[in-house]
Amino acid sequence: MSEADFKELKKGGMMRQAEAGLFSVRLHVVGGRLATPQLRAIREAADRFGRGEIHLTARQGVEIPHVRQDALAAVKEFLAPSGVWVGVCGPTIRTVTACQGCRVCPSGVIDSPELADMVDRELYGKPVPHKFKVGISGCVNNCMKAEENDVGIKGWIDPRWESPACTFCGVCEAVCPTKAIILSAGDGKLVIDPALCIGCGDCITSCPTGNMREKNRGYRVFAGGKFGRRPSLGRRILGVLGTKEEAMASILAVLDFFREHGKPRERFGDTLLRTGFPALETFVTGRTGLP
Amino acid sequence: MTTPQMDITGDVCPMTFVKVKMGLHAIAPSGKLNVRLKEEALKNVISSLKTEGHRVRNVSREEGIFLLEVTKGG
Repeated sequence: MSEADFKELKKGGMMRQAEAGLFSVRLHVVGGRLATPQLRAIREAADRFGRGEIHLTARQGVEIPHVRQDALAAVKEFLAPSGVWVGVCGPTIRTVTACQGCRVCPSGVIDSPELADMVDRELYGKPVPHKFKVGISGCVNNCMKAEENDVGIKGWIDPRWESPACTFCGVCEAVCPTKAIILSAGDGKLVIDPALCIGCGDCITSCPTGNMREKNRGYRVFAGGKFGRRPSLGRRILGVLGTKEEAMASILAVLDFFREHGKPRERFGDTLLRTGFPALETFVTGRTGLP
Repeated sequence: MTTPQMDITGDVCPMTFVKVKMGLHAIAPSGKLNVRLKEEALKNVISSLKTEGHRVRNVSREEGIFLLEVTKGG
């Protein structure tokens, strides 16, 4: 088998192991969610074609290691009737990670699995200059670590202050974890610094008078994050987006930018180091018309 | 009648709100309870009070300690 053949297999989710002739078979999982019939099929496949072992990857993926090369086609065929598909590797759009989102988690602001499914359907396995990861956190507690993905999404609550019944009690200022709120009771003013606000909504839940309200709740987009040898954190782009369609449009625009400017085997964060971050922001705003 | 006072400055979550709940249990609906608490307890205590239908009417501060005047809900 040639190196090119191994590369093709890898793209198709069959990764050559250190031991010659053996492969780890990556499966297609979205947001770490599997139905029990799928799990039963995976267990059976690991027993039949592997060594009865299943590997849970760092990004909610599932792999069946120790599959012999001559069994690769068979394992694929065995899993398909249970709705288990082989995944991807190489320069493609990778596993979309997600938490359980607002339908399950009391802290959830957005329906992360719903957006994950949408992104997966549209983009999973598509070619890009280098691997491209999308992760979705339902709120700013950020269990899915949005900033370590090429594109990360977080559920976000934007506060708005209304003056009429505010007593300037100082609770919002005291509870704000980033000191984004500056109160000057003397002038009857309260300012929220949008650059410091992390969208947690603590000021809203703890306001005794109800004068701190939700201005927006939705999707906040982070771009250019990665881990690996030289980690860098993704940075915020755009405002708080109100719908999953807008979130999707922003991801598509970021990908267009990456395809236009990224070099082969260059992670998106490194592309941004060359182009500068403002170039991405201008492009995405122009392409989507989003604020 | 003087408003009952409660000091939870020495408590940590979840005992902060547990004590406030017990304090409210002892008074009649629409009755008042004054609570002294530290800044760290503000978010959880106030949001829990709001969730359970009580109201925080007055807030004042003295040297890093907050004083809440709580009105018991229906």
